[in-house]
Amino acid sequence: MTLDQSTVSLSIVLLAALVHASFQLSISVLTLMSGHALGRKTARLRLLHLVGGFVLGAIIMTILLLSFAAYALGAWLGSGVPTVLWAIGAGAAVGVGLSVWLFYYRRELGTILWIPRGFARHLDTRAKRTKSATEAFSLGLTSGVSELLFTFVTISLSALILLSLPVHLQLVGILIYAGVSLVPLMIVGLLIGSGKKISHIQRWREQNKRFLQFAAGGGLMILGTYVYTEYILVANILGSL
Amino acid sequence: MGLAVDVVKRRGKRKHESYDSDKLLRSIHSACLSVHAPEGLAVSAANHVTSIVTIWVNSKPAVTSNDIRRVVAYHLERYHPDAAYYYLHQRRIL
Repeated sequence: MTLDQSTVSLSIVLLAALVHASFQLSISVLTLMSGHALGRKTARLRLLHLVGGFVLGAIIMTILLLSFAAYALGAWLGSGVPTVLWAIGAGAAVGVGLSVWLFYYRRELGTILWIPRGFARHLDTRAKRTKSATEAFSLGLTSGVSELLFTFVTISLSALILLSLPVHLQLVGILIYAGVSLVPLMIVGLLIGSGKKISHIQRWREQNKRFLQFAAGGGLMILGTYVYTEYILVANILGSL
Repeated sequence: MGLAVDVVKRRGKRKHESYDSDKLLRSIHSACLSVHAPEGLAVSAANHVTSIVTIWVNSKPAVTSNDIRRVVAYHLERYHPDAAYYYLHQRRIL
């Protein structure tokens, strides 16, 4: 594999991570958890521990999910990814992107996501009951899994791409994905830790939710098109030469 | 303190409960603290708004939790707009 091909592959992983970054479930859970903690008069240092624990949990779960997906797909596929799998991945990205455009937020005020209400209430209850950094860590892990509803496409496509990279670049790809996809969560964590009002953060999220929805859906469609072009069209053209 | 007024929760999907002014006071106080309001302001706002809402609730045979939330936010706006916003929207975050 040449450096150019690796660069292209890593840039697609970067795009997938940016799309993952525009999803909002973990940020909602972090906002809720911090709001409840502040309402209980939690000290600043303890709040920082909670936020840190949550963000660390989300980072570790993202790394685990991507590594597991890459390992499972590698074990299943052996060497080389069949074209049909790229086609399924590209189609899923476009389909989920369209669904995100249509359904990501409910047609109500606020930033209520299109997830089962019972599930949302469970996350809300867990956020309310989180009082230690360990609980916050496990809530971060849980929210990483919960977000799979939206992120399974970006994680699966990134895992497929990682399979085509040399081992040392696979590690780089995982770190790029985990680092970039969780930048918004880290920013919100820093804002809360530095004393920014939860109401201001929530107001900003509410005012910009349609843009975030558009970015997430559009990003997924671009990702799908990118994958289709790079791994199906270009591969077929090069194969026929 | 509980009053003989039924609070209908989540459009009747959860069991009704009696209006509890202490519970309301705690939730307003907590919302104020969540947006970094000073303790004194939080206590004062919670007391005032709870009194107003209790008078309003007393005039009704039953109210919904959403009605209470809306009326609290309306009156809390005078004391702390950020707390009012957060109180109204905290169930609309996720």
